[in-house]
Amino acid sequence: MISVYLSGDSWAHRLPAGAKLLAVAIGSLLLFRTETLWVFVVCLALVLAAYVSLGRGAVQRLRLLKGLSIFLAAILALHWISGTVMDGVIAILRLCVMVLAASFVSMTTRMDDMLAAVMPLFRPLEWAGFSARKSALGVTLVLRFAPHLMEIFAVLREAYQARTGKKSSWRLIAPFALQALKMSDNVAEALAARGGSQGLTLK
Amino acid sequence: MVLWPRKRKDKEQTGGCNPDITPYARLEKAGLTLGTRKVLSGLSLDLEEPRIGVIGLNGSGKSSFARLLNGLHLADEGCVTLFGADAASVRSELPRHVGFVFQNPDHQAIFPTVEEEIAFGLTQLGASKDESRTKALEFLDLHGCGDLAAKPFAELSGGQKQLVCILAVLVMRPAVLVLDEPMTSLDALASRLIFNKLMSLPQRIVMVSHDLSLLTGFDRVLWLEEGQLRMDGPAAKVIAAYRDDIERRSGTVMEAAAI
Repeated sequence: MISVYLSGDSWAHRLPAGAKLLAVAIGSLLLFRTETLWVFVVCLALVLAAYVSLGRGAVQRLRLLKGLSIFLAAILALHWISGTVMDGVIAILRLCVMVLAASFVSMTTRMDDMLAAVMPLFRPLEWAGFSARKSALGVTLVLRFAPHLMEIFAVLREAYQARTGKKSSWRLIAPFALQALKMSDNVAEALAARGGSQGLTLK
Repeated sequence: MVLWPRKRKDKEQTGGCNPDITPYARLEKAGLTLGTRKVLSGLSLDLEEPRIGVIGLNGSGKSSFARLLNGLHLADEGCVTLFGADAASVRSELPRHVGFVFQNPDHQAIFPTVEEEIAFGLTQLGASKDESRTKALEFLDLHGCGDLAAKPFAELSGGQKQLVCILAVLVMRPAVLVLDEPMTSLDALASRLIFNKLMSLPQRIVMVSHDLSLLTGFDRVLWLEEGQLRMDGPAAKVIAAYRDDIERRSGTVMEAAAI
């Protein structure tokens, strides 16, 4: 199973999880308020510098963009067809900066810190009698297991390629969905075996 | 302020488990159906011995039986009494008393790093985040795994992963440890090391295994077949009978369909 978290004790690991999440949220909002090309270029350079500052392991995570490349190319193609290439470039840069920044936070934040940082956002649910911990845990589990879903798809694709010679097919969607559901069953069972999403003292 | 208080199931709030009671598990004509398939039926037995092994072919109901013991499954026939209380009524309490170790460590680990995985059990018991971190590090040191603390779970070897899974359960100080084929994905050395670790524990153990050699020193072995108890007794006697049965069956062509 692959992990999005990069263990270490860098400057980014030491920053409070709440501050990192807030910075990404505010930064993303600001990026939607501007259309100036150089702002995006500077932001991208800063995010890339942040990756480089963490060393080789972090730089390798930039492969994340490779997975997005088809999607980014499609956006650019659509803008090119509609005669707004510059808007397409800006949209791509915006997306790259946001994805890389979010990934940077996931990469440098422990899951329990993330859980603690996200929990206050769900506190209002407690007024309605719902569990804030349950919802916060749900969000952090999604972040935790998203890379594993990618791994499942990669394994399926490899198995398909071994028998057909083709790299991918829509036929993989059904087995992928089934395996993803199986994975969520496993996680739910593992959680239940140790007291469930609310813990043994909160019930 | 709570506008709509959650409904509390009174049955689950009773704290009815007595971890010191013997036998810790009593099954009376217990049965279980998953979907449309009857996986267990007519199981009647008491569990009290320190080391109990569970054997049987694939699909015989071993994993389902193991899951009955910590409330992951609830019997839909008969009665299952755990630590002196009806299993259904104390289901939410059971993870505190019965640690469950899964066959595949990747199906058990929830958190990305070893220390977080251990600390999770402590937060489940009510410890604060900082307290659970400190205690998790101490616990890992105590078991000679301090150097694994900061490592991502995904980067551990198979044996290390299984060891971490066992420690993640042990940190909750359960009275009983239920292990569902814990050695399946391990090489011979890792398997032996993990086994030795398990045998050194004070907890009562119920271990499902296909590796019969591991169970020879156990106090008791249960042999399940098609969801029913085929044989129950001292390890040597049950294992010998099981081996004979395998030998006999492997000679018949018809059994090829069971593979």
